[in-house]
Amino acid sequence: MNILEVTHLSKTYGAGDAAVAALKDASFSVAKGEFVAIVGASGSGKSTLLHLIGGLETPTAGRVQIEGQDIFAMKERRLTIFRRRHIGFVFQSFNLVPELTAEQNILFPVLLDHQKPDRAYLAELLEFLGLSERRNHLPSQLSGGQQQRVAIARALFSRPTLILADEPTGNLDSANSAEVLTLLKQTARIYEQTVLMITHNQSIAQSADHLLQVSDGVVSDFGRVGR
Amino acid sequence: MNSYLGIIPISARVHRRQNRMTILCIIFSVFMVTFIFSMAEMGARMEDAHLSAKHGSLDYLALLSSATGQTLLLSAAMLCLFILAAGVLMIAGSLGASVAQRREFFGLMRCIGMSKRQVSHLVTLEALHWCKWAVPTGVVLGTVACWGFCAVLHYLVQEEFAAMPVFGISIIGIASGIIVGLATVLIAAHAPARAAAKTSPLAAVSGNDVPLPRAGKKLGRLHGHIETNLGRGHARASKKNLFMMASAFSLTIILVLIFAVIIDWVNVVMPQSAIASADLTISSEDATNTVPASLKNSLSSLAGIESVAGRRSAPNQTAEMVTTGASMTVDLISFEETDFAALEKDHLLGRDSDLSKLSGDSHYVLATPSKTSPLAIGDHITVDGKDLEVAGILKSDPFASEDGATDNLTLITSDETFVSLTGERDYALVCLQTSKDISEATIGAIESHVGEQFIFEDRRGQSTAGTYIMFRFFVYSFLAVIALVAVFNIINSISMSVSARMREYGMMRAVGMDMHGFFRMILAEAWTYAAWGGAIGILLGLVIHKGLYALLITSHFAYASYVFPLAYLLVIVLYLAAAVLIAAWLPVKRLRSVSAMETIRWE
Repeated sequence: MNILEVTHLSKTYGAGDAAVAALKDASFSVAKGEFVAIVGASGSGKSTLLHLIGGLETPTAGRVQIEGQDIFAMKERRLTIFRRRHIGFVFQSFNLVPELTAEQNILFPVLLDHQKPDRAYLAELLEFLGLSERRNHLPSQLSGGQQQRVAIARALFSRPTLILADEPTGNLDSANSAEVLTLLKQTARIYEQTVLMITHNQSIAQSADHLLQVSDGVVSDFGRVGR
Repeated sequence: MNSYLGIIPISARVHRRQNRMTILCIIFSVFMVTFIFSMAEMGARMEDAHLSAKHGSLDYLALLSSATGQTLLLSAAMLCLFILAAGVLMIAGSLGASVAQRREFFGLMRCIGMSKRQVSHLVTLEALHWCKWAVPTGVVLGTVACWGFCAVLHYLVQEEFAAMPVFGISIIGIASGIIVGLATVLIAAHAPARAAAKTSPLAAVSGNDVPLPRAGKKLGRLHGHIETNLGRGHARASKKNLFMMASAFSLTIILVLIFAVIIDWVNVVMPQSAIASADLTISSEDATNTVPASLKNSLSSLAGIESVAGRRSAPNQTAEMVTTGASMTVDLISFEETDFAALEKDHLLGRDSDLSKLSGDSHYVLATPSKTSPLAIGDHITVDGKDLEVAGILKSDPFASEDGATDNLTLITSDETFVSLTGERDYALVCLQTSKDISEATIGAIESHVGEQFIFEDRRGQSTAGTYIMFRFFVYSFLAVIALVAVFNIINSISMSVSARMREYGMMRAVGMDMHGFFRMILAEAWTYAAWGGAIGILLGLVIHKGLYALLITSHFAYASYVFPLAYLLVIVLYLAAAVLIAAWLPVKRLRSVSAMETIRWE
């Protein structure tokens, strides 16, 4: 069953002579549990594609359906709540809330929903990601790799339908990068998450279940490449 | 471009929108100072005209060094200091935020070799650049506002303001506005200039990212919604900002309570009492009841006379409390319907007082309040063998002397009751209300008819109603302006706080915070400032209010007693709530118009 359907998705910035077509007529689908790698040169439109799928920007044309729901048919408030519950983000620059501890950052989306967090699941995630000792530390007291692991835990905690990772290792050294990527893949497999990740790492791209290449705004779907 | 400072006008054009608030603050400060000093000078010129009419022309410097001139200048100087402080707070906040948003630029400047001193000069001169047209704008607006206000006083209020110059140009006002405007900007730019100079050259590479806070600034245990916790945390994150915001609020509240005392003082000094508002009075020389009742009756039929009321008095009567047997000395005074109506209009009747019992020949009286012989409603007093019952107590004594030391308790009766008690039918005082178009011939005829045996007073020119209303209008306008300054301050501060955290807010939107959540968060931040400022302002303000009330009112007017400013406190609380709501709503409106991704990419 396809968890994500993208149909004729386009995004153009500006108008007239200054118009820039960041994404042109992209169409593809992603099955549940797939690990999708999105590759492409700088400025090719990879981030634009990810942001559109996450509902962070509105397209010029086209449709994005997540679990059968057209996200751009939703009003702003409903889309925000949908994003809170069904989409997890991992950013290149971590984007943690500086005054919240690691644990509070992980719980943040669930707290926004005014729900009682599942403490057992939290403990499990913290243990798995090696953050148990650091749960009460501020982001400023964590290394880059630890901060990114907190961001991953935050993305996973609400058990979302999709996890969108925009170059999650872009600000990390090679050792941390390898560790974070491995963790991301493992947690995706263990918790049966569907992950779309932008990466420049060729080995990650090759080991993905599904490969998408973006070049000058055009998305080429290389399909399921296997593991 | 011949110098690195040539970048200033270029930067000013590019960043005009971001510096709108700074420009508005400068215009506002200059406007206020120009207006206040111009009004002070116009007041002094008006006083000059009054004194010239009485004593011949005076030396202007002598006038300014007179008591009136000194009072005006001192008041203007004090207000000016307040505006300077408020202006510095606002402009410093605005400039500080502008500098914070341009860390990357200042880092680049340092990278390419600009010294710290040069960066500091750049920021200061940028701020002064805004004065080039903001100061003249403020001066023009202040002068025009002064003209408008003087015109209202001259043509509408008249009375003693008839001599107010209308289109006067105040050199003192203009010079003060310019000096204060420039001084405010120079003082306000000092801290942001230092902050910009301290920017590391590395900021050119790391950009405008605000450094993560030092360890130890956790939110701690979360109580209630995460959004309100974050909002409170943002307010407490910068102690300096919290102090400035709380100070702005508490200063406003203290000033409101100080001016509340001044208004009460004016009420006492310039009572706008319907009781005391007769246009013409005829009284006996020794306050005895000798003005004939027939005179009163004949005057009421004259053209131009709207109403005539008479009062009889019987001072120093021996009275005895029925319940306790205590004896006392009382003054008896009779009132007609007009005077009873005036008591109601002046809100002088105490709780549970019943005026209807006093009509006709009844045994009911009203009593004035007395600290030595307090009476209560329902008490029985015997005067000259006759039993009288207290039907009401007045809130204050309209007949009290200033020191109050020698005042007897006053009992007010109806006309018929007084006649029944004393048998006297003539009056001690006859009060006439005239129409606006009464002829001077009629006044002259009344005066000559009254003759030398009674005292005739024409009080038409002594009305202070217009002055009183204008004074209250001026005070309330000033308070409204002060309150607006504080509101602008918090709106500015919250706006800058939101701008500084835009990327963080973008991330929050990405992970699912909706606009209601943002509103709760920003509201919590604004409310933290208001709560601190409100608590300190109300506590300090009440102490000052009580002290000032004793100093100005109760120590000079024995019959006056302290009135707790409940109405003002309610207004203050409502004002704080409104300020906080507006300050929170505006940035959320801005966030709503920007997509989540634009917020994350915010520069």
